[in-house]
Amino acid sequence: MTNPVQIIAVGAAAPAWRLPASEVAAAWGRKGGRGQAAACPPDEDVLTLAADAALRALAASGLQTDIVDGLWWGTTRPPFAEGPSHAFLAAAVGLSAKSGGTLCAGSAHAGLDALVSAADAVAAGSARVALVVASDAVIPGPGTAFEERSGAGAVAFVLTNDDGAAAIGARVTRTHPYLDRYRGDQEEQTRDIYDGRLFREEVFLPVMRDLGQQLAALDITAWSLPDPDGRLGAAAAKQLGAGTPASTGVYAALGDTGAAAAMLGAVAALDAAGRVAVVGYGGGRATGVVITADRAVPGAAGLGDILATGRPTTYAEVLRARNVLVPNGETVAMAVPPQSAQLVRGADEILGLLGARCVDCGTINTPPTIHPHCISCGSSKFVLEPIARHGVVHTYVINQTMPAPFQAPLPLAVIDLDDGARVMLQVAGDGATLEIGSEVDLVLRRYAVERGVPVYGYKAAVRPVDPADAAEAASDSPQEA
Amino acid sequence: MAWNKVAVVGGGIIKFGELFEQSYEQMASGAFDAALATVDKGFDPLQVEAAFVATQRGTLWGQEGIGGNTVPTAIGLAGIPCTRIENACPSGSDAFRVGAMAVASGVHDVVLVIGVEKMRDKSGDEGLLARAAAGHPVYTRGETAPVLFAPFATRHMHEFGTTREMLASVAVKNHYNGARNPNAHFRNEITIEDAIKSAPVCHPLHLLDCCPQTDGAAAVLLVSAERAEEFTDNPVYVAGFGVATDHPYLHEKSTFTSLRATTMAAERAYKMAGVEPGQIDSAEVHDCFTITEILDIEDLGFVEKGKGGVASLEGETSLTGRIPVNTSGGLLAKGHPIGATGVAQIVECWSQLRGQADERQVEMRNGYALQHNVGGRGSGVSVINILTTNK
Repeated sequence: MTNPVQIIAVGAAAPAWRLPASEVAAAWGRKGGRGQAAACPPDEDVLTLAADAALRALAASGLQTDIVDGLWWGTTRPPFAEGPSHAFLAAAVGLSAKSGGTLCAGSAHAGLDALVSAADAVAAGSARVALVVASDAVIPGPGTAFEERSGAGAVAFVLTNDDGAAAIGARVTRTHPYLDRYRGDQEEQTRDIYDGRLFREEVFLPVMRDLGQQLAALDITAWSLPDPDGRLGAAAAKQLGAGTPASTGVYAALGDTGAAAAMLGAVAALDAAGRVAVVGYGGGRATGVVITADRAVPGAAGLGDILATGRPTTYAEVLRARNVLVPNGETVAMAVPPQSAQLVRGADEILGLLGARCVDCGTINTPPTIHPHCISCGSSKFVLEPIARHGVVHTYVINQTMPAPFQAPLPLAVIDLDDGARVMLQVAGDGATLEIGSEVDLVLRRYAVERGVPVYGYKAAVRPVDPADAAEAASDSPQEA
Repeated sequence: MAWNKVAVVGGGIIKFGELFEQSYEQMASGAFDAALATVDKGFDPLQVEAAFVATQRGTLWGQEGIGGNTVPTAIGLAGIPCTRIENACPSGSDAFRVGAMAVASGVHDVVLVIGVEKMRDKSGDEGLLARAAAGHPVYTRGETAPVLFAPFATRHMHEFGTTREMLASVAVKNHYNGARNPNAHFRNEITIEDAIKSAPVCHPLHLLDCCPQTDGAAAVLLVSAERAEEFTDNPVYVAGFGVATDHPYLHEKSTFTSLRATTMAAERAYKMAGVEPGQIDSAEVHDCFTITEILDIEDLGFVEKGKGGVASLEGETSLTGRIPVNTSGGLLAKGHPIGATGVAQIVECWSQLRGQADERQVEMRNGYALQHNVGGRGSGVSVINILTTNK
């Protein structure tokens, strides 16, 4: 008898922006618009969100990333429609080049597809440690009914067959071959060409009732339920007698996070012991999984901060970031394309952040491929190792004048990392809180989308300043103009 | 050191500016003619034995991979030996150094050094560093030219209390000098307030902290010192030069309050010339941005490290100051047509040493003038030439 599949840690992530629904409503001449949804700035997308959540879950697990046997990633819309989506995420989170797993895609059900596939692999013994990631940042068609609820976010679970804080138990699936949201091959944006009433009465609620009743028999203490439009979730909860689902807070803060929604809603309940029914819906399929937590799952407590943060944005900013509002004229290349020789040489150092430590003097040279000799002592003996992902700003600028499609302001900083390496990177955001001495984390970000190809690399994200530290710093601030 | 003495016997520049009406070839021809006209006893163009041309970036006017043959045809000397030097912002000063070595070696007696750059045939969006890729090709995009220097300003302000007013004082002084130079791109004076209130370009640098994009050309004539009197009774000699390189990317820098290429090049140039920084009477230094001049005057040893901002604000580098810097208006006011810049600085040094700088003339106590450029990725190349009237 094998152990049930265990969850040893979880992690969550959301993009930097929050779009008030009233902004969207006003743009279309409607009154009202309740709540908000998370939205990606130009440098975030499903891949960067997935990496952020995965690294948090891995950090909470305490495991070395190279012992992870596989990555199971679910997203409605992979960053490369055809391409190395899975391989990029695996490299960015530091998984071994021998790791396996699966990319699940095509609808918001992809998150649960990834979870149950990974659980099956662990149960079967083909993976001892599995990383499950669900992320979404669907681009809703302008003017669609679900536009103001369409959010973005990511969640990750680390599964093993060893002792964990929670166990994955029963599962139920129902299918109904009905088309609701849709995006064709030639399309950039997701459309809603279906009849909302028909979907609600004949598809969604009957499926939820059937599936929910199966789960409800298992002494469920908390529910994570899908709520694609801001009303269906409450209706489903009511017919199940589920009270207020645990997922409600996530929907209120981030909107509908698509493939990530079911697992994110579960994380909201996994910071304490209990039995959670995790239900996902998309593409004519619904799946529910029961997770039983004996105690708080490591990483689950971090969700609160993620839901509470985020910068309010405008509809125009979001449309620009989604490439819906596009400037006229010629643009310059902003990054190194993933099909280039430079990336073939540099994939480990660009995505995996490898540096070359000089054996003779200890200086870390970055990136390794342009440093056959050490910048400090000239030696050519190196060991490759991951560079630190946290450091302090040594100096910086905020660039205000760049050719399109760069958008000002663009902060850039020279950073001294904890291991002594010095790097220079773009800084995420507008640099409003950037100072010499600011603490930063290196985070995967999308530099650009060029000729339709997303291009990724690292940026520095300024850590929020502790108010107590800020007061202290203000009393002896440098004489900077 | 066993090298033959080299004399500068002529130097001229064309009026710098946005020269939309002139071709690259016309600018080269104009600079050559201007240099010929300055030779006291006359100069037959056919005496030129070899030429060294500095043009940093032919792509800025639509010519890729230009060689040394464009200029000889343009100045009516097709057939002479001619080599093009491209070495980032110090291209012009390096062409001068190479020309001087050609004479010092004894291979040539009469050499033309000419710098020509067309910056404004391309719009700002397409022009210098417009790809915003001055940084590492893989790691850091969004680096335009100001990004190469602004981090030094941020750090200099942090460590030494340098202020935006001090930065602005460099722009004010160089515009004052440029207003007195008929060949400068900008001939208007500005105030500290103008500079501080100008539009932000790259924090902490604003528009008037930055040099313009300028078309221009300049030329000098070098001869072996023993033949100098054929051309003039008032020659200027090459006292020495120094070149140095530093790591090409900003994240490889160990300091952001000094440009190591400059300090190393200066050490070499002073040693070769046998002079101390205190003996320099006048200097043309690389002021692509205000912060660059502040770094330069510290790295060249004119003021103590960290005091460059204060020294500028207090007028130590003005025409009547202790060490006049950029009497021509510098890159900030005269303009920065890259290949021509270093050669034009030599022309200014030559004029100052001969007492022919008119309103801009400064006192020559020791008979030494210094010319300096720094540039390239990570400001990793510096060239310094020291000229003298001392035989």
